[in-house]
Amino acid sequence: MINDQFSVQVYSHSRPIVTVDSYEVPRDQITFLFGESGIGKSMISKAIYGLLDGDELDISVNGKKYSDYLKETKTAEIKKNSFFVFQEPSSHLNPLLNISSQLREGSLALSDAEQEIMMRLWRGTDENAVKRILDVFPKPYRPSGGEKQRILLAMAFKKIDVFLQTKTSDSPSYFVFDEPTGSLDNTYRNLFIRLLFQCYQTKPFTVTIITHDYSVISELYTKYTPLLDVIHLKELRRSKGAAVELVDFSADDYLTWLDKSKPVISASGAQQPVLTMAPHFKIFGRKLCLYGDAAHSREKTLVINKGEMAYVKAPSGVGKTTLAKVILGLYKSRESDLTISGIAINENTPQKKLAKKIWGKRAGMVFQHADESLDLQSSVGETFAGLPLTPALNRESIKNKLHELFEQPLSEAFLSKKVAFLSGGQKQRLNLLRTLALGTDLIILDEPLNGLDFVSVKKVLELLAEKQKQGAALLMISHNEEIFDHFVDPQNIYYLAETA
Amino acid sequence: MDASVLKQKDSRWAMILILGLLVTGVWDALFLNKPALRFVVSGFFNTICVALLVVVFTLIFAWIVTLVLNYLESHNRRASYMLVTFLLNTIRSVPQVVGILFGYIAVGIMLQNGIIRGALPVFPLLAVSISVFVFIEFVDLMRERIAHYKKLDFYNAMQVCGISESRIINIDILWKNSRIHIFNKLISVFGAAIFLQCSVDFIISVGLSTDVNATALPATMGSMLANIDSKQDVLAIGYALTHPLYVGNLFFEHLQGLTVAFLIVFLLVCTFHIANGYAQRHRL
Repeated sequence: MINDQFSVQVYSHSRPIVTVDSYEVPRDQITFLFGESGIGKSMISKAIYGLLDGDELDISVNGKKYSDYLKETKTAEIKKNSFFVFQEPSSHLNPLLNISSQLREGSLALSDAEQEIMMRLWRGTDENAVKRILDVFPKPYRPSGGEKQRILLAMAFKKIDVFLQTKTSDSPSYFVFDEPTGSLDNTYRNLFIRLLFQCYQTKPFTVTIITHDYSVISELYTKYTPLLDVIHLKELRRSKGAAVELVDFSADDYLTWLDKSKPVISASGAQQPVLTMAPHFKIFGRKLCLYGDAAHSREKTLVINKGEMAYVKAPSGVGKTTLAKVILGLYKSRESDLTISGIAINENTPQKKLAKKIWGKRAGMVFQHADESLDLQSSVGETFAGLPLTPALNRESIKNKLHELFEQPLSEAFLSKKVAFLSGGQKQRLNLLRTLALGTDLIILDEPLNGLDFVSVKKVLELLAEKQKQGAALLMISHNEEIFDHFVDPQNIYYLAETA
Repeated sequence: MDASVLKQKDSRWAMILILGLLVTGVWDALFLNKPALRFVVSGFFNTICVALLVVVFTLIFAWIVTLVLNYLESHNRRASYMLVTFLLNTIRSVPQVVGILFGYIAVGIMLQNGIIRGALPVFPLLAVSISVFVFIEFVDLMRERIAHYKKLDFYNAMQVCGISESRIINIDILWKNSRIHIFNKLISVFGAAIFLQCSVDFIISVGLSTDVNATALPATMGSMLANIDSKQDVLAIGYALTHPLYVGNLFFEHLQGLTVAFLIVFLLVCTFHIANGYAQRHRL
């Protein structure tokens, strides 16, 4: 196996952003790259690919100035032959060109496999749906997040097709998929993986898939065992400051942990409902309903007792987060019928009552995007200021809370550190801790594992189990179906769907 | 001083402003006659003093009105919200110079009738008259900032943690996350206050009244520009354009008008560049 070795240093105004001394990219093989959000996975990949702005940042690759690295023949060939699927699909698409034109821009026009690729990514069921998408000019809400992501994947597959037509034994390539399935449910994720591996089996090429989706490991180990020799699981870990190192990620660790995981049985609050909600509600002109089965044949009232965790499943965009906001009264839904700790909430419940009796007192919520939910200009310590706790948390008690999810020892300087300077994973943990510190009866968690590395995932789930044992009722919304299928009692799994 | 500071446009222009004022001050001290120098110095400081007060009042008015509007909006007080918005839009519809002119006239009448005496109460009253017609833009900025954060999870995430609305708005949104925007706007307000003050003072001094400014209102750069000596000096600048050899005389014989005209333009140019540089530095 030939490995391409890179050392990458990225600085901004003399401040190190990320540095790695030895970053291996196995040539013509497939790497799944894990690691907490913000640690530098995307930045290192972009630096190697040649996408960073050398005027804005001080960059060196393999000891060379970035401008010199970009001039190298090999770097130029990588850029010519390969494709980079960005994490945020909206930033990749041009709002002034329709999708079909963008799918045929530049070298992508050389591939005639567009129809086949699109059909496969759209599950091959509806040709018209694909045609409709091709005429769309990208706007914030159209196509949907999942569709945008599949459009980018289609572009990447077209580029792969072009590359494979001309590939010689020494043609360098570096196809990077940065969180390619963040907005896709497992069905579409698996379609993507199948298509990628089929292309790979035609002729090998170099692939890096940056992901937080650990459940992909199970998919690889159950369906693609013949390819395991060319698949590498790697993790980027922080070694010191901005310095990171690339280490092997053990699939066994994950699979064994998952195998041993089981739902928490809380003895403390059996049959004491904290949240009850009738299955039907209307919001934004849509009728949504909760079911007790995946086939949507059995409507089910949402009931979470003390010490229980309920899990709501639905494809992306159906309204899981909307449901959470309806429960907390942030969205006024029509015909909803729900109670939290015995207090009825409906569309007429005034905000004053919610602020006085529900928010932070009986119910709290961890929002999906830590970057948006936290005040980035506050310090870590200030994040806990203003919470309705008596007595208010002092620095020592904040440190104790932080110990639950952060590495020890925690310095005073960490409490004073600006949230903006934390990594994505650290922000997510802080986001969780702020809500958990409230000790409310009901905790709603919207994608709480977003951006976390495996060690943090385990810690968070242990902490949530602890909260359950203490009697908290948890409502979980997450794409990590595999994990929560193990952690939640099947009786407490709900399926959300739109009804006619 | 660290040389890197001067790489920032705002710091560089602040330094240019200070140096320009110092050089002008030294030159005037050497070559301008003493009564005229006293007149120029007092006009300059009066103008700056009023402009600074405008900044303070604008900030106070805008912050209060923003909070009132936010309260009325979030508590569904539709009628009161519409009323306040209507009043604001009414003020917005009045051209700033015209509105301020009426404010000045009111202050002049109060002075003439002996309701207020001396410069001390006049400064804040003049500043209030300007602020009333400037602060609405500031309200717009603050409301935009609040609306931006309400669209994100930021606001809801804090709300459902039980953090009070007033803390979210005042501390987290306006102070921690908008103070750079607010400060940038305050620099612009300072420049606008100088410009409006000079314009209105000039209009009052030249055309609307023969006695209000001269006898009662404190001298400002605008009123000084309308002063007969300054007018002759400014005319001399025009003369120098067609008679280049006369340029040298401007700096010795027409210093009062030249200084006042220069200070007005120089202050405005520097304020513009400082505000621009500050916005660039903070990527606003």
